[in-house]
Amino acid sequence: MTRARLFPQPLRHLQDRIATGIITAGGIGVLLAILGIGVFLVWEAAPLLLHSGTDSLAMLSPLAWGTLKAALMALLFALPLALGAAAYTAFFMSARLRSRIKPTLEMMEAIPGVVIGFIAGMLLAPWVERHLASTLMVIVWLPLSAGLAGLVWHLASRRWQRRLPLSWAALWLIPWLMAMFILALWLTPLVEQTFWDGDLRQYLHVAFGLDYVTRNALIVGLAMGFAVIPSVYSLAEDALNEVPRPLMEGAQALGASRWQAVVKVALAAAGPGLFSAVMIGAGRAVGETMIVLMASSNAALLSASPFEGMRTMAAAIAIELPEATAGGTTYRMLVLAALLLFLFTFLVNTLAELVRQRLRRRYQHLGNTS
Amino acid sequence: MKWLKSAMQQGIWPWLCAGCVALSLLMLGALLALLLTRGLGHFWPSALDEVTLQNGDVVAGEAVRDLPLPNRAGSERLYFTGNRDVDDARWRWVPVDTIKQQTRPAELLRLKRRTWGDFIGYLEAVEVGGERFSGHDAWEQVQQALPLPAPQRARFQLILRTPQGDTLRQPLSTVLRIEAPNAMHVGQKLKAWGSDVWQFLSQGPRAANTDGGVWPAIFGTMLMVILMSVIVTPFGVLAAIYLNEIAHQGPLTRLVRIGVRNLAGVPSIVYGVFGLGVFVYGIGGSLDAWFFDDALPSPTFGTGGLLWASLTLALLTLPVVIVATEEGLARIPDAQREGAVALGATRFEMLKRIVLPMATPAMLTGVILAVARAAGEVAPLMLVGVARLAPQMPLDGEFPYLHLERKFMHLGYHLFDTAFHGEDVQAAIPLVYATALLLVLIVLVLNLTAILLRHHLRRQRGSEC
Repeated sequence: MTRARLFPQPLRHLQDRIATGIITAGGIGVLLAILGIGVFLVWEAAPLLLHSGTDSLAMLSPLAWGTLKAALMALLFALPLALGAAAYTAFFMSARLRSRIKPTLEMMEAIPGVVIGFIAGMLLAPWVERHLASTLMVIVWLPLSAGLAGLVWHLASRRWQRRLPLSWAALWLIPWLMAMFILALWLTPLVEQTFWDGDLRQYLHVAFGLDYVTRNALIVGLAMGFAVIPSVYSLAEDALNEVPRPLMEGAQALGASRWQAVVKVALAAAGPGLFSAVMIGAGRAVGETMIVLMASSNAALLSASPFEGMRTMAAAIAIELPEATAGGTTYRMLVLAALLLFLFTFLVNTLAELVRQRLRRRYQHLGNTS
Repeated sequence: MKWLKSAMQQGIWPWLCAGCVALSLLMLGALLALLLTRGLGHFWPSALDEVTLQNGDVVAGEAVRDLPLPNRAGSERLYFTGNRDVDDARWRWVPVDTIKQQTRPAELLRLKRRTWGDFIGYLEAVEVGGERFSGHDAWEQVQQALPLPAPQRARFQLILRTPQGDTLRQPLSTVLRIEAPNAMHVGQKLKAWGSDVWQFLSQGPRAANTDGGVWPAIFGTMLMVILMSVIVTPFGVLAAIYLNEIAHQGPLTRLVRIGVRNLAGVPSIVYGVFGLGVFVYGIGGSLDAWFFDDALPSPTFGTGGLLWASLTLALLTLPVVIVATEEGLARIPDAQREGAVALGATRFEMLKRIVLPMATPAMLTGVILAVARAAGEVAPLMLVGVARLAPQMPLDGEFPYLHLERKFMHLGYHLFDTAFHGEDVQAAIPLVYATALLLVLIVLVLNLTAILLRHHLRRQRGSEC
């Protein structure tokens, strides 16, 4: 009662009203401001679309092609790695190791694109140019060698199998892969001599007419794939880990092996979640700027060759927009490119989010019935 | 073939998947190891070689790397020879099989100079006033004179001899450091390494970014990030409270929430375009027209600057803060809110006394994650105000102390610019590695702090926050 006398009720309610009003105004203002990005982009790009119509789209097509090519190369490299890693982490890895490995791999996402781009453009690109055959050998051989490790493991004695269990394979395969990497480098000259007349680049040029540029789509794919892996991995692992365990156990009780249960039951159940993970990865690959800027030749080409460069929309914006005069055609065209990027990622992310929400409801449903 | 069949049945697929994890870890480890060795190794005083070639040429310098020759067998070696003022080149490729003799003379020196970059050669004599010292006395004189303040050092003149036999005079006042790496023991090298690292962190760039440090870039990054968090924290929290506590929870709110979540996935360059169009050209242009029209046509706020960069990055990181805060708010049980209201609190008092304190860890985590994202982001900054070499710091002793309209240097952009647009990229690369390492360390430490903070506070306060 003393409190009520010190602060008369009307004052407290006025205070409450004012505070609520401020929060509401501020909140709505902030939300409008962020959602206003789309409005601004449409507003600035509209005159171009209205006046020149298809011309501007034709000007954008090499950039759009470059964007698609870069994203596809990155996904080609990142998706198998990320999804495989997610499947292993969710179903085979020991729980103790998982609690360490997952945050570590998610930490990969924090590495700035400019650092990855620098390493790719300055170190990886010249190395790959000199050792193209070795690079391709490594890309083909390393995954095979992981399978080879599995074969060797099945042949090994029980004692070794217990000592090096599958649930810790992620760690003890690292030295194995390093050894295999060195083996691949060592074997390459032999292979190159036998199949490609001793010089793969010359061979590619003669046989397929492929030219080689130092900073090319292959490098961009490797570097951007590295940047995309963690986000895809994290979301895919979440989706797989949320698959109700009774489903897996049921499949195994009916005689399926663990891997069969993973493929036939878990992948099917978590399919939409994996799809949304892939979509998020695609969104990231399409919009990444610094890696493409630093690891590709930035020439606007319409070429499908993985050994030639490209210029993506994001890179074009970063290069050309500071020099473009405000309101000019170039400026409006680059804003249009930004609008396309915005729309694409926004749609893709919304789709992924909706799919994920539906999946969550489905899991709840499945969890209740089983 | 029976074992092959059984192996296939039991499955090598899990092994392939395990290989994926191992490969990702391997790549991450390789990247970090590369940055660590290249970034920190550059500051280690490396040995200087003096080689005599078959044609009689003498080359002295630091061996950088060996590459196989393109046309014939054998390899060639790259030497950093310095002495750009003498022979107009800093690098020399030497075919390894033409080397006749290779020595490591203990008296070979490396001078870090204010202009022309490094000098590699011998100390012939020192002139102090009219006196001339040579040999061991000269070395002692130099050692005594180096720590002196600059005006007193002006009396000293070094007479230097290049490995090729040319002599040149060098005033001691233009010399930053002298070391004889071949004669140093590990302790001395460690000390030199430490002082080099410190110089890298605390000084500005010299000699077209190929030498010196990155302090202005560190400072610019920090200032921009601090300004950004000052802007983003209140607005992000306000929006999150509105969305979670005040707005009517209908389909519209759900749609807005999905929209905000998705904005976190929109490419950063798009935010850069927005910042350039709205902040720089729109608001900045109007500000110039109203208040700074005497300075026109040279723009004051109508060009990229610290304020616009911070605002753009604040917009970019708003979704991060909103999402993190909202997660914290959603985790607070409704019973807490109902209890507060049942005891007579108004909604504002309930928010202020109960809800906000409980959501603080989530808010902090969100802000730290936002800072980590902003520190590593470069693409939008290229459009809204970063500079390759800012002549003036954005914070100085001149009124109004904080110059929001100035351009600033940023670690990430510094890295990009030095590596791809520098004059002598070869010489700048080691410093770029060091910059990259610094950037990665900052971002990783920030992320780790966010994770640990969340973990710690959750354990301390129970699982509800």
